[in-house]
Amino acid sequence: MAKTLAKILLALGVGLMVAGAGAEPAAADYGWPNLADFLQQLIGKVGAPVKVYKLEMDRDGKVDLWIQQQAHPDLVDSWEYDHGRIDGPIPVKFDHYPSVAALDYHVIELTMIDFPRLPAMLATARAKLGLPDARVVYIKLERGDSSGFFSVTDTPIWTFALDGPRHDGRVEFDLKGRVLDVDKD
Amino acid sequence: MSTRTELRHGIALATLCSLHAAASDAPVAPVHPLEATAALKAAFAERIGHPADVLAFDLGEHYARALVQNVAAPDEYDEFAAVPGQPLEPGRPKKVGDIDCRRKIPFAALDLDAGARALAQARTIAAANGYKTPESISLGADIFCRDFGWRAILTSDADDDAMLQVTWTPDGTLPKAQEMHEDGWRKVDVTRLLAGGAKVTPAAPKPPPKTVAGDGRTRDFLLGIEADLARVQAEVGAPLGFRHISIGHTQLSLDVYQPANRKRVSTWLVGDDGAIKLWREDDTIPFDCNKPFASADFPLAQLADLIAEAPAQIPSMPQAEVKDAAVRRSGFCGKPHVYIKLEDDRGYGNVEYDERGRLVSAEIQ
Repeated sequence: MAKTLAKILLALGVGLMVAGAGAEPAAADYGWPNLADFLQQLIGKVGAPVKVYKLEMDRDGKVDLWIQQQAHPDLVDSWEYDHGRIDGPIPVKFDHYPSVAALDYHVIELTMIDFPRLPAMLATARAKLGLPDARVVYIKLERGDSSGFFSVTDTPIWTFALDGPRHDGRVEFDLKGRVLDVDKD
Repeated sequence: MSTRTELRHGIALATLCSLHAAASDAPVAPVHPLEATAALKAAFAERIGHPADVLAFDLGEHYARALVQNVAAPDEYDEFAAVPGQPLEPGRPKKVGDIDCRRKIPFAALDLDAGARALAQARTIAAANGYKTPESISLGADIFCRDFGWRAILTSDADDDAMLQVTWTPDGTLPKAQEMHEDGWRKVDVTRLLAGGAKVTPAAPKPPPKTVAGDGRTRDFLLGIEADLARVQAEVGAPLGFRHISIGHTQLSLDVYQPANRKRVSTWLVGDDGAIKLWREDDTIPFDCNKPFASADFPLAQLADLIAEAPAQIPSMPQAEVKDAAVRRSGFCGKPHVYIKLEDDRGYGNVEYDERGRLVSAEIQ
């Protein structure tokens, strides 16, 4: 089990995440959650593979991760991580429950997510918005259609929502960190 | 007193002195802003400290507020406020996304004397026609981002629905007025208003709501409604012609066509203590089905059993509980069906029975 876990974490590159957290300039930085610790704890509880329905980090660095249940692939559970403490599974309640086929399509394999890119993506988001001191409102990963272009492919999109005293802004990226859309009030 | 304590006191005193000095450097709003509009404008100009355009200005005895845009940095919007006799605080940044309308005038063109005159005229109109005295007057565009000028909205205690809007150009001339009516705004002559010729008609007093006290028994309507239907029928004084029945654990809501006027629907609420209240009366919707159904048209006697059995109809929701139930015509104007909403910790399910209590559908939402 420990060997499998190590392999997965190595594949995820989450070890780099810790270094990434310290690499950003301190003044305008975001208190990155320790995703390596979170995912290590999570995989220890649910095992691999982890299929991500949605991942969201809030301003305070709390994480809410929705994953497809392996034993019951028609169900989605939420796992929360708050500065070292993991909480879950919390049943996710939908107004209209998606079918298994829809869920299978919607989820993103955890191994597909390049977490070490996140600090650089935040720096890019600030630069694209022209808001070097903007604070994170939330950072979210979920499949959807970007506002920036027409798509029916329902691609995974990272959304960086930022704000400052005079502006709100949102930058969308694909999984490789390419900018899809920039929207500034 | 120790040296360290003296030092702390000294630092605290120095901090207070510097704060006081900073506050005393700030321009002070006049004590009577409406009588010293030039001084008020000068205080705002000094506090803003750079060329600006004005998007909005509120003016009254007790408060004034300006929303301005920096001419040199059009992305910078700030709000400044003045309290009579107090130093003006620094401006508060306003987010660009919160600016709904960008109509503006140069700060130099801001005529607060015109605003004070317009406010006095609005108060004369209010007193002469039965409206409440307006506290302040506003300069800016209307909600459609048009007609930049001074604006007073008058309301009345005599009629909650009465509303009069009076507007002036930024220099305080060309007053116009319009009254709110059911079919929209109607123009009113300002000369007539100033002479008290358009007084508010007091609204007819509303009759007290029809209520029946509870009987002390606590109910769960999902376990049965027959007895309470009979109690409501006694209040209505005629057999109930239903439009919609909504059943929750703690409330029963009945939309019933009025016996004397089938174009009106009364909504009766029964609380879990048995209290009955006539909550509202509305016109029917034109071209809707508007065909009443009676207690005999749906499986009233089986209703509690149908509700209790509903969770078993969706095996994949084994922990589901009944959230609520309703009886209404199926489709546009079909037979009355029973609709039961289920809920578990992951979502919702819907079960439908027909007019004879036969299962029509049971599925996860």
